[in-house]
Amino acid sequence: MAGSSTVLSDDTLLSRIDRRLYSLEQVLSLVSGLAVFSLMILAVISVSGRNFFNVPLPGYVDWIEQAMPLIAFMGVAYTQRDGGHIRMDILVGRLKGRALWAAEFITTLAMIVLIALLIWGTFSHFQRAFDFNAPLWSRDSSMDIALPLWPAKLLAPVAFSVLLLRLCLQLWGYGRAFLSGAESPVAVPLIQSAAEQAQAEAEHVSGSPVDAPEDTQKETH
Amino acid sequence: TEWSVSLWGKRRAFTEHVEKLAELVSEKTNGEFTLNISYGGLSKNTENLDGISIGAFEMAQFCAGYHRDKNPSITVLELPFLGVQSLEQERALSQALYQHPAVVEDLARWNATLLMPSPLPQYNLVGVGDAPKTLADFEGMTVRATGGIGDAMAGVGAVPTSMSATEVRQALDSGVMKAVSFAPHAHMSFGTIETGNWWTTNLNPGTVNCPVVVNTDALEMLSDSEREALLSSVDEALDYYIEFYNDKTMSAWGPALDEKGIERVTYSDEEIAAFKEKVAGPTAAKWVEDNTAKGLPAQDLLDFVQGELAK
Amino acid sequence: MEPIDIGIAVSAGMLVLVLLGMRVAFAAGLAGLVGLIWIFWAKAGYDPSRFGKALTIAVKTAGQVPHSKVSSQALSLIPTFILIGYLAYYAGLTRALFDAAKKWVGWLPGGLAVSTVFATAGFAAVSGASVATSAVFARIAIPEMLKIGYDKKFAAGVVAAGGTLASLIPPSAILVIYAIIVEQDVGKLLLAGFVPGAVSALIYGGLIVGMALVIPNFGPPVRGFTWGERLKALPPALPIVFVVLIIILFIYNPFGGDAWGTPTEGGALGAFVVFLMALYKGMRWAQLKDALLETAKLAVMIFTIIWGVLIYVRFLGFADLPGAFSDWITSLDQSPMLTLVLILLAYAVLGMFMDAIGMLLLTLPVVYPAVMALNGGEMVSAADSAFGMSGPMCAIWFGILVVKMAEFCLITPPIGLNCFVVAGVRDDLTVQDVFKGVTPFFIADAVTIATLVAFPSIVLWLPSLV
Ligand code: NA
Ligand code: NA
Repeated sequence: MAGSSTVLSDDTLLSRIDRRLYSLEQVLSLVSGLAVFSLMILAVISVSGRNFFNVPLPGYVDWIEQAMPLIAFMGVAYTQRDGGHIRMDILVGRLKGRALWAAEFITTLAMIVLIALLIWGTFSHFQRAFDFNAPLWSRDSSMDIALPLWPAKLLAPVAFSVLLLRLCLQLWGYGRAFLSGAESPVAVPLIQSAAEQAQAEAEHVSGSPVDAPEDTQKETH
Repeated sequence: TEWSVSLWGKRRAFTEHVEKLAELVSEKTNGEFTLNISYGGLSKNTENLDGISIGAFEMAQFCAGYHRDKNPSITVLELPFLGVQSLEQERALSQALYQHPAVVEDLARWNATLLMPSPLPQYNLVGVGDAPKTLADFEGMTVRATGGIGDAMAGVGAVPTSMSATEVRQALDSGVMKAVSFAPHAHMSFGTIETGNWWTTNLNPGTVNCPVVVNTDALEMLSDSEREALLSSVDEALDYYIEFYNDKTMSAWGPALDEKGIERVTYSDEEIAAFKEKVAGPTAAKWVEDNTAKGLPAQDLLDFVQGELAK
Repeated sequence: MEPIDIGIAVSAGMLVLVLLGMRVAFAAGLAGLVGLIWIFWAKAGYDPSRFGKALTIAVKTAGQVPHSKVSSQALSLIPTFILIGYLAYYAGLTRALFDAAKKWVGWLPGGLAVSTVFATAGFAAVSGASVATSAVFARIAIPEMLKIGYDKKFAAGVVAAGGTLASLIPPSAILVIYAIIVEQDVGKLLLAGFVPGAVSALIYGGLIVGMALVIPNFGPPVRGFTWGERLKALPPALPIVFVVLIIILFIYNPFGGDAWGTPTEGGALGAFVVFLMALYKGMRWAQLKDALLETAKLAVMIFTIIWGVLIYVRFLGFADLPGAFSDWITSLDQSPMLTLVLILLAYAVLGMFMDAIGMLLLTLPVVYPAVMALNGGEMVSAADSAFGMSGPMCAIWFGILVVKMAEFCLITPPIGLNCFVVAGVRDDLTVQDVFKGVTPFFIADAVTIATLVAFPSIVLWLPSLV
């Protein structure tokens, strides 16, 4: 899970697409991080406005509610790419080779079905809040200062579409691994074996000025 | 036939007409047609109209002020100082407006048909800190007030914020809000009287409008006898609701204030008149302007409401 | 099939998907969606020509959940509290705390592990997220423990368990979420967590000392610090106290008068202060970017579980499972205390397969009213109640018990978030290693829970003072 799996790469088309998509996913994830940061700044403005200037920030809650989907959705594909969404790997952890890739292929396919349907569902949620003929195109707005809700509602199908792309790549990767019977295929998160971990560690150069984490990037390109 | 009904919170005075309706309908059809009421299990309260439009459930309650863009036509009933005096009058006014073609068309966008109102009395404030003895004392005060009530409070210099009822207690406890506007039943069920120390008896700036709607397709698919059983029960359910509200809630309100030692603040008639003068006209004018821009016959609706009230 | 049977069938299906290794968030979401399709199709009498309609309604109903459920002010606490954790790490606060703890209690048997527990407890007073606390301390404490010969698995277990303290000791995202779901006073609940959190930390510490005395080659004490060195270790950790003070003022103002704002704002302001400290300590864009990315990653992981589980919960609502459960619980012909203990045991089992917040979202709408009814209702007085406490006090007591169970679920296999995070930080550890290392702490948690059930006053005396 979060970080403990490695994604290998090589010169194949699959791997090149994987890395291309990964840089997009990283940007989206950073947007999510910046939204958290802005949440913090917003609170500081709201609190000091209310306590020191007697001018509460209008629509504080509305703005928070607008920022939350950014935080919750934008990094969803990035986390999937690195195998960061939690799962129980007691069973699959024991599988090897083709059996493992078959299991991964099936669960990935199940996720694709879910996400494809959810793109439909979340897009219809957006559509109900959107009206080309209304002021600000809004057919649903926030309670306090009437911010249009459609942009925030649109974030879900957008983020899920990127996730769908990612899942299709992984399905391709697992399918390819199943056919070739490869031990360590590219473009899919691998459950690390002890030996690989030892190697990864040996390659690692640790330490940096402000006791930065040793493991922020675990890419073995 | 079994209908799912989406309400929220828990069973309270505000939901008694739906409970009564379910009872009556089942009785009249010998259990052939039942209403299965869920408190919050089927949808978020601000998305009940979405659920109706999808067809996820057949009946729901919501408040117009939760989402003014979804139902602009009925927000006219939330304008401040309309001059509604009683629950009976609020009920008659709402039921009349719900028949207005522009309103029917507005709700039809959600595949919804308005069934009945949930009449609420005029809102008033419960607050913490020093009681505002005159309207001038509201200057700079943070108050929880939605829709037209918020507009009214802004008219006396208060700083209104809309927040959903469930967040109010925390906001009051933490000093984020100094006062909260609610109907009495909500002041009791959301605990504002636990923290507050004053109550305005006669500010009466307005109320909120919370209709019960049904999915239009589902209504049409009912057998004639089922539809008859449903529609003929509405008036009885509303009678029961109003009786319940007046008898149980309003009679518990005075003693509750006494028990908590809450100071009653009453403003002079001249002050209230001046307040109304300052707020009512401009807010209504602004409402007409905004909603005309949305393509609504706003002036018509306002005239209709004022005409009904003059009757 | 009755809706209830559909509910049970779909829940079994979800368990199979989880066992097969499908990511939990998506397994829950898929189960919920399939369940909704089933329910709406059943309502249409399984008429094949109406399957398309049922599918459309189900998909659109499920499609409401992600946006509608995550855009909540209450949940904004989660990313903010995670951010505090990472910023404090870059501000050097976590290292200072660990250093001070080491110098003060390192001489005990198992001293470095005890220091880790106390440092996480201290850090818990600024951090509201257990997962972030474990993630941060895995970087600081594990290497030091390994250096002096601790068992790798145990060292990881200490950090995973220590992290759970962050959700009892205020501030705590989970406690706030509980308060919001059950509509109780957030300030009192947060206060109530303080003593049980401290008790938990002491029990963890005691367990480690006991193990160190019994097990040979456990890990030597770290001795030889002078009193001068000990005193010098304190000032670098002091900023923590300052941040704690800010947060307390926002939750409950001990000087009289209003609190300064909501806990959410307090958390955000605390994060801002820590951010300024980190800037002062030399954090620049590169490190800030890392902190933000890591915050985003953890937050996304948690929110994905939240909306996934809530799609499933929406399905349960349509299947009317909560109502059936509540009726069943209150109809049981046995002592309320036995029922409560059984509920807590059910939490322990459920917690194995769920994450903490998902579990609370799933169960509280059903279980909380049932427990309040067991005690005699929301308005019951202490004298007339089953558990010997008034309605509001019972809400607080049960809240702390449930949150402690939720903490327990963060370290139990097969799905224990804290263990996943620790394994994620350390390349040399698998999740299974961490689960092995954390098992001794199950005993400690069982002791803590039993203590809190037997002596409710541990929970209630602080909130009853205000
Ligand atoms: Na904490
Ligand atoms: Na668990």
